Amino acid sequence: MKQLPIKRTAVLVGSGLLAAGLTWTSVADQTTPVQGLYQHNPNLIAFTNATLVTEPGKRLENATLVMENGIIRSIERNNRAPNGARVIDASGYTLYPGFVDPYSNYGVEQPAGSAPRGRSGTPIYSNERQGGNASNSAIHAERTWVDTFQPNADQAKSYVAQGFTTVQSARLDGIFRGRATTVSLADTIANNAIYQANAQHFGSFNKGSSTQQYPASLMGSIALVRQTLSDSRWYAEAAGLQASNGQVEFNAALEALKGLNEQGLVFQADDEQSLLRAHRVLNGFEVPVTYVGSGFEYARLNDIKATSARLILPLNFPAAPELGEQYAELDVSLADLRHWERAPSNPAALAEAGIEFAFTLHGMDKKADFWPNIRKAVARGLSDEQALAALTTIPASIAGVANQSGKLAAGYRGDIVVSRGDLFADGEIVSVWLQGKETKLKSMHPVDFAGEWQLQALGTEFTLKVSGNGRMQADLSAGDASVRVANLNQADEQLRFSANLNDLGMPGVYRFALSQSSLNSLQGTVQDASGQTHPLMAQAAVEETEAESETARTDTPAEELIGQLTYPNVAFGRASQPEQQNLHIRNATVWTADDQGVLENADIIVRNGLIHRVGRELSTPRGYTVIDASGMHITPGIIDEHSHIAISQGVNEGTEAITAEVRIGDVVNPDDIHIYRSLAGGATVAHLLHGSANPIGGQGQTIKLRWGENSEGLKFRETPPTIKFALGENVKQSNWGGANTIRYPQTRMGVAQIMQDVFQQAREYEQAKADYENLSRAEKRRTAPPRVDYRLESVLQVINSERHTHVHSYVASEVLALMDVVEQQGFKIHTFTHILEGYKVAKEIAEHGARASSFADWWAFKIEAFDAIPHNMCLMMEQGVLTSINSDSNDLQRRLNTEAAKSVRYCGMSESDALKMITLYPAMQLEIDEYVGSITVGKHADLVIWNAHPLSAYAQVQETWIEGRKYFDREADLAAREAVDSERQALIQKVLGAGPEAYRGARNGYRQQQPTWHCEDNHDVWLDWFGDHHHGHSHSHELGGAQ
Amino acid sequence: MKKLILSLALGLAMTGSALANNVVPASKQTQPVLLQGGTVHTVSSGVIERADIIFADGKIIEIGTNLSAPEGARVLDITGQHVYPGFIALDTTLGLVEMGAVRATVDTNEVGNFTPEVQAHHAYNADSNVTPTVLYTGITHAQIVPQGSLVRGQSSLLKLDSWNWQDGLEAGDLGIHLTWPRAGLNNAWWERRSAAEQQKAQAEARDEITEIMETAKVYNAARESGVQNRIDRRWEAMRGLFNNEKKLFVHADDRRQIEQVLAFNERHGFDLVIMGGRDSWMVADQLAAADIPVVFGSVYGLPARVDDAYDTAFTTPARLAEAGVEFAIAYPGFWDVRNLAFAAGHAVAFGLDYDQAVASITYAPAKIMGVEDRLGTIEVGKQATLVVSAGDALDQLGQDINFMFIDGREINLTNKQKQLYEKYQQRIETE
Repeated sequence: MKQLPIKRTAVLVGSGLLAAGLTWTSVADQTTPVQGLYQHNPNLIAFTNATLVTEPGKRLENATLVMENGIIRSIERNNRAPNGARVIDASGYTLYPGFVDPYSNYGVEQPAGSAPRGRSGTPIYSNERQGGNASNSAIHAERTWVDTFQPNADQAKSYVAQGFTTVQSARLDGIFRGRATTVSLADTIANNAIYQANAQHFGSFNKGSSTQQYPASLMGSIALVRQTLSDSRWYAEAAGLQASNGQVEFNAALEALKGLNEQGLVFQADDEQSLLRAHRVLNGFEVPVTYVGSGFEYARLNDIKATSARLILPLNFPAAPELGEQYAELDVSLADLRHWERAPSNPAALAEAGIEFAFTLHGMDKKADFWPNIRKAVARGLSDEQALAALTTIPASIAGVANQSGKLAAGYRGDIVVSRGDLFADGEIVSVWLQGKETKLKSMHPVDFAGEWQLQALGTEFTLKVSGNGRMQADLSAGDASVRVANLNQADEQLRFSANLNDLGMPGVYRFALSQSSLNSLQGTVQDASGQTHPLMAQAAVEETEAESETARTDTPAEELIGQLTYPNVAFGRASQPEQQNLHIRNATVWTADDQGVLENADIIVRNGLIHRVGRELSTPRGYTVIDASGMHITPGIIDEHSHIAISQGVNEGTEAITAEVRIGDVVNPDDIHIYRSLAGGATVAHLLHGSANPIGGQGQTIKLRWGENSEGLKFRETPPTIKFALGENVKQSNWGGANTIRYPQTRMGVAQIMQDVFQQAREYEQAKADYENLSRAEKRRTAPPRVDYRLESVLQVINSERHTHVHSYVASEVLALMDVVEQQGFKIHTFTHILEGYKVAKEIAEHGARASSFADWWAFKIEAFDAIPHNMCLMMEQGVLTSINSDSNDLQRRLNTEAAKSVRYCGMSESDALKMITLYPAMQLEIDEYVGSITVGKHADLVIWNAHPLSAYAQVQETWIEGRKYFDREADLAAREAVDSERQALIQKVLGAGPEAYRGARNGYRQQQPTWHCEDNHDVWLDWFGDHHHGHSHSHELGGAQ
Repeated sequence: MKKLILSLALGLAMTGSALANNVVPASKQTQPVLLQGGTVHTVSSGVIERADIIFADGKIIEIGTNLSAPEGARVLDITGQHVYPGFIALDTTLGLVEMGAVRATVDTNEVGNFTPEVQAHHAYNADSNVTPTVLYTGITHAQIVPQGSLVRGQSSLLKLDSWNWQDGLEAGDLGIHLTWPRAGLNNAWWERRSAAEQQKAQAEARDEITEIMETAKVYNAARESGVQNRIDRRWEAMRGLFNNEKKLFVHADDRRQIEQVLAFNERHGFDLVIMGGRDSWMVADQLAAADIPVVFGSVYGLPARVDDAYDTAFTTPARLAEAGVEFAIAYPGFWDVRNLAFAAGHAVAFGLDYDQAVASITYAPAKIMGVEDRLGTIEVGKQATLVVSAGDALDQLGQDINFMFIDGREINLTNKQKQLYEKYQQRIETE
């Protein structure tokens, strides 16, 4: 394909000599004893007449670059080659520094293919210990990948083809992966290729080839990162000392991580949310980190910028979703359509925000898309300078080779990219020099002799016209006479032909051989009829301006994007947060859910996000927005004690029996559409809980449904800490299949014991910490400080009543057992959740002082749910148990009002209590009733406006407010549907209009949609398998999966 | 009121259907009954306030105002209460499942993807503990449906109060259930097949249906003409489709599936019913024009696609009604079927006319089941299958079923859950 304005393409004179068939190495290694003769090949090379882009933003015209022994010796502006140099005329070519890929697994040992794991395999709970390795097999920070490094010419090819000369490389496997090595892609011995033996540490949340159970969720991985970093700090202090439980162990991984804060970490994040999650943990330990991004950074640009971190960006702009068939769009989301359109704008958006980044080939399923994608990014506003920096100086800095790679300067490596034309517009890489040695990419770019040439030979001026279309033809003319040449062929980069020149007045058949000497000149020889050869020169007949490519680029208008960018960037996302308004809501039926009961024809004044007044015929303060709510009912926002919406990559760390260290708060997903859907059902607060796969699960997170905020903005900060406990069938793995029978506990007896045991351990842990604090300064110097154990820290908070338990529970026996156990430890269960047989032991629960949150009417989905009754709430409440209704389902969370009404139906509960079961009582269970749960002066203005009795089947939410901000409005929603639809149609048309070009791109370029999480969903997000029990209740998933 | 033995032995020894419920089925109506002063939702001719209904020998004999009681009649004053035809739940697995997670109690799926011969009522457990809790919410009949991935088997309509399935069978072998192959792509993260692979598999599955229908047709013709004497239970079961003795219930949710089913039936002309019909609103006009009924199964459903409006499922019944599609509302499942009337009420909140909502769980399902001559409306001559609720039975706040009659028999509305409630109330009283 020909894109160049300059028709004549050429190869560099002389370069062919160096590349072709040289079996000797120009740079020998320095320690191997010489066998046979010493070799001293000439190794001085000079590129003359070159355009040098020595570093981003610095360009030299007509300069000379001199390399010696694989190192740049000098850059000469006077365009003179030193004596003894091999001179390469680089007229018309641009030389760039060789590119550096800071995230690679080139040349290092790859993980062994792991055996298929899944339901049939016996779970592996611990790591095989060897040589001081870590207790978790995803932690191998002690590995130094330079140890396994071997140059690999095959693997190098795909990098070199894109202009890369250097990579930072490690095995991309596991969480703390060990230290990368920065190496040349040159085909040489490892010793010569290593530029920085030990570069940055690599890391990710993905446990990779580890077969160990823990961690199986994103929150588990985050917890493991947190514990490991904490351990490495502790180890730095404690190594060599006596701890209370013996001599501090040797731990190679922790030893290796001691230097992390100097050595730095390159951390791969699956998407922008995980990048921010990683940052919250790593920043807490002041780890200097560079993130491998995902291409979605534009979606939360300000948050990304706030990390101040550098990024490494893959350029996997996605292929358009398949839309060829009618109604194929039914499988395509607006979010994907938007990303298809906007992905190429991501680099420019980051650059504009002042975020530094490098590019990587990693993650591209088609490496050949790399340069086309860079050009797309440039077309979207990324400057050449920024793009070049992302390929050279920035990655060189990340890879620890800024003093030898990334620039063309004296003393730097002889790693050079030679381009014909402007690489960032329509140029192409013709060769890449690695350590002063050329890799020609010529096979991709055949020499082109087509065109018209003024040829001088034998004292005559000829015109040679070569047509390259289809079969090559050529005519040679002198004056008015012309002959068709014969035996025309192109081989060895030469154009060869013979011509009978009788008609041109030169008797005989002459044989010609021509090769290109520069972009627009040829040289060669002609053999005359007597067998003599004569020199021959040729110039291109037509001169074309080099400026053409420049103008071609600036003329292209910036592409207008059709897709919106909203928060979150999905359908029904918001352009900005709703404004806080001061309100006067008039003439409504107000269900206060406090002692005032139901007030007819009442007004509410909302000021600064709080309920300011509730009463009748209030006057409107100046500047307040008036809402006429005649005929409407207003309730407090609905609060869900048990929700699993808005959680990323796993709701259960259901691997080990106790995982009190994992935090739902680490994996809040602000992009989940169920936040919006729940608002549309009147919910404003949700308590996000860990699942029920183990006796002590993870820490809960309460959120306000502030749709559009980021994960931190969703958090309801005033909520005291909580944790999920679970009892019964799930935790004893009753429905997990035959392989899962080795984890303690397998019975309700064992559940009680393991709980009691961990409480005891937490007490002893607390004591050990206190004992250490009481040591004298001298004793402290001799004694290892206690290792911070986040698991026990969390349990300690529980037994000290600083972290409230929400206990997944069903049957009477297990409930009594747990209350018995915790009473022995001197604390109380806070809230039993589900608690389907609560009615059987309501008296005991009330005496214990626990609260209860239940399903309205679920039962019969498993044995422990077979005695569940929809009258449960009435019986518990009657006996003094504070009772609420929860959803445990993204469906039911949208209609908790009618779930609560079922207690009116089944057991005659008062409407007032029924409403409180989804407002005030769950607020009390979360200890946030000071702020929310009723329409009471001083509380948050979290309000729902209904068009009918709020507990009736016929009630429809009209508006949902959180702290005086309107997050849902039925009218606005109807309008948003129209907007979503037209935006979708426009983007679909854009895809269809783009033809096959739209489908060029990465197949792996979209986010995976998070599934609907249920309490029991317990699969390993890193291993891609489902537990046996997952499909156990598939029939009812759509309509409220049974837990 | 009959004294019931309160079962104290609700222990969990699971062997087959050993866990019988203890509710005694009602006996035949022997005494005429006059229901006085109720708000009667006739479904066939609107709502009549303060109306009387007289029924005897299991049939309605008179509807009017100020009727005088026949000799020896039992008179029930239900002033202010609502009377509905018994609610009919379609597309359920009641009696086929006792506990979802306990395999021994699940009789829904036969081996293989071509089992037209299986008849749901053969596994129906009349002594299930679940069904009385469903009756309790006004549901008198349920269609019991085998599950499966292609040709599932045959469904039956059962009364939910019976000694055994034979006693309870209202209409057997209603038709063949076919699960239509998926159309469109599965984007779920566990799906590892490419788009092309998925499309190929879908096309193959549709070819399989074509092949099955062709073979069934040939078999039927061969049997009719006496050429084929050897019996194949599978093809034999399919024969009723070709003379419209049996309906074809096709479970299809996606728009493309429904369109494929309509095109398929253009060729075959079966007595077709669309089951599920999640996207039926998108093709409502086509369904109305082709006169194909829909059993809509997800009034409470989450939007099928992230870009869909939050209330897509809620508004579907109203949209079907507006387009003139014949539809029933269903609540597929077993224990949760008891939410059927509330689901109909929820559709009212999102635009469905109240009377149509009532019809969607009474007359419409009766018609689809082919029993509209005796069930589904309150009319003289029809079965006295009636539900009396103190308040609006479609609303959680109103539903309070005081009486239920199935062919004139007064149904005992107790159930395991109510008994446990009563038992533990006694704990409060005694301690």
